Amino acid sequence: MHIKGNAWTFGRNINTDLIFPKMWFRPTYEPGEMASHLMVGIDEDFPQKVSRGDIIVGGQNFGCGSSREEAAAAMKEAGIAAVVAPSFGRLFTRNAINVGLPIITSPRIDEEILQGDLIEIDLSSGQIRNLRSGYEARLPPMAPESLKLIDDGGIANYTRRVLEERRRAKV
Amino acid sequence: MHAISKIIALHAGRESVEVGEIVNVVPDYVMLNDRGAARAADLLRKMGGDKVFDPAKVIVVFDHHYPPIRQQDSVSQKRTREWIKEQGIIKFHAGEGIGHVIFPEKGYAFPGALIFGTDSHTVTNSALGCVATGMGHSDIASFLALGYNWLKVPEVIRFDLHGEFQPGVYAKDIALRIAQLYGEDAAPYLGVEFSGPMVARMPMAERLVLCNMVIDFGAKTGYIQPDEVTAHWMAQRAPHSTWTAQTTDSDADCGRIVDLDVSAIEPLVAVPHDLSTIRGAAELGDIRIDEAIFGTCTGGRIDDFRVAAAIMKGKKLAPHTRMMVNPGSRETYVQAMHEGLIDVLIEAGATIGVPGCGPCSGCHQGMLAPAENAITNASRNFKGRFGSPEANAYVASSATVAASAIAGRIVSPATKISQ
Repeated sequence: MHIKGNAWTFGRNINTDLIFPKMWFRPTYEPGEMASHLMVGIDEDFPQKVSRGDIIVGGQNFGCGSSREEAAAAMKEAGIAAVVAPSFGRLFTRNAINVGLPIITSPRIDEEILQGDLIEIDLSSGQIRNLRSGYEARLPPMAPESLKLIDDGGIANYTRRVLEERRRAKV
Repeated sequence: MHAISKIIALHAGRESVEVGEIVNVVPDYVMLNDRGAARAADLLRKMGGDKVFDPAKVIVVFDHHYPPIRQQDSVSQKRTREWIKEQGIIKFHAGEGIGHVIFPEKGYAFPGALIFGTDSHTVTNSALGCVATGMGHSDIASFLALGYNWLKVPEVIRFDLHGEFQPGVYAKDIALRIAQLYGEDAAPYLGVEFSGPMVARMPMAERLVLCNMVIDFGAKTGYIQPDEVTAHWMAQRAPHSTWTAQTTDSDADCGRIVDLDVSAIEPLVAVPHDLSTIRGAAELGDIRIDEAIFGTCTGGRIDDFRVAAAIMKGKKLAPHTRMMVNPGSRETYVQAMHEGLIDVLIEAGATIGVPGCGPCSGCHQGMLAPAENAITNASRNFKGRFGSPEANAYVASSATVAASAIAGRIVSPATKISQ
C-alpha cells in the first residue's frame, strides 16, 4: 500500500476527548457526520481545513483515553490516508485497524515532520519519507493479522466474509 | 507464563501463548453500555449479522445516558430494549449503576475470567485477577457476530507496593504517583500487575481503584493475584459461582518489576487537562472550587462514601461550592442510605443524582461553565469532559474531594482530618 499526503501535526498525549468530543456522540451517524467533528476539541475549523489524502502526525501516546471508535472512524471518513506517531493509545490502535485506517508507529517521527510537509509511506516495503527534508525511516513490520484487516478495509468486511463462509458451509 | 498469558491461552483454547502473539479468544462476558449496545447492534446489522452468536455472554448496562435527557437517547434505548428481547439477551441492567461497579458487585467479574466491554474503564474488573479490556464498537460488533475476537498477548509490568500509607492517602494517590513518575504512557499496551504487602492488605474497593486507573497509563488490562480478600469477595458476591485463579510461573514472566514505597506518597492532585502534571494537594495554593464531582467508576463505591461522610459529617459545603454526587451503583446507594452517609452528604449541601456515570459521561446533571473549577474523584480531567472546554477539572482521591468541597478550595485531607 502506497500513501502520499500532507501532514497535520499534533502534540503529545492527544486524548480521544479532544479528537472527537463526546458532545457530538450520537446513537447513529449520517454519512459525513463524524468527519465534520474531527479534532474539534483542538481546532474547531479542522474539519474545513483538512483534505482527503492528508496525513495526521501525532506525538507520543496519540489517541489515549476512551474507547470511542469515532476518533478513528472520523479520520477514516474524512479521508485521512494514514495516522503516524511515535506511539499510540491501545484502544485507538485497535479502532484504527478495525476501521481500516493505516496506523504507523515510528520513533521520534513527530520531531521529523512539520505542519504541511509532504510525506510518503510505503507499507509494503516498510518505509516513511519526508519529501521536504529528505528524512527517511524504516517502519517496524506490522503484524500480518493487522495488515490483513487494513487490506480488507476493516473488521466489518472481515466479519462479513467469515459470516458468509459460515453460511455457505451450512448449506 | 504470566497469569495474564495463561488466562488468554485458556480462552484461546491453547495450552500456551507467547507475549506479542495475536490469538483469537472467546471471552466469558462482554459488557455493552447504552451507547455501546446501540452502536454495536447497528454495526452488527451492517456487517450482515442478524443474530448474536452467544447471547448468554452479553451483559447490557445503561449507565452513561440513563435516565436519558435527550430524546435521541430515549429512542435509542427503546430500540436497544427491543433488540435485547429479539436477541434473547437476559442480563440487562438499567439504572442499577455503572457497568464497572456492578460487574464486580454481581460476580460477573471473577478470577481467571476474560472480559471485554465497550468502554475503556472495563479494565477495572481486572482487580479480581482476571483479564478485562475495553474495545471499540466495531470490535464488539464483530465479536457479537462471530463469537470471538483477536487479542495480542501483552508484556507485563509489575508494581510491587510496600510501606505504610500516610494519613489521608489512598489507592487513588498511588495511581496518581505512578502517573507522576512514569507519565500517561507508563504502560502502553501492557498488562499492569499490582503486587506486594501493601496490595495484600488492600480491600477490594481500593484494588478496583488501582486497576481502574491503568487505562490512563495506556494499559490493556490490570491484574492482581487472587488471594483471601478476593476469595472472600467472591464468596459474598457470587457464592454459587465456580472459578479458578491462574498463577504466574516466575518473576521472569514480568517484563519489568518496579518497586514503589507508598510511605512517601502524599495526597496528590492531577491538574488540568490530563494526568501529566501531578501536584501535592497541600501545595496547590488557593484554587477555588466551584463544584465537587463525586462518584464514577473510579470513586463511586461504598468505601468512597464512608471516607467522604467521615470528613463531611456535621460540616457544610463552602458557600461558593456545590457538590454533585452520583452513587456508582444502586447497591451502593442503598447501603449508603442504611449507614446514614447520604444524610451526611445532603445535610452538608450535596446534590444526590442517579446511580450512573454522572457528569463524567458529559451527559448528565452537573455540567461546568467556562472558567469554573471542579475537583473530582473520577479518573480523567480531560478538557471538556465535565461540560465546558474552558472549565478546569482537578482529579484527586475521594478524601481530597470531600475535604476540598468543605474548604471551598483544594486542600489536603490530611490537614483537614487533624483539625
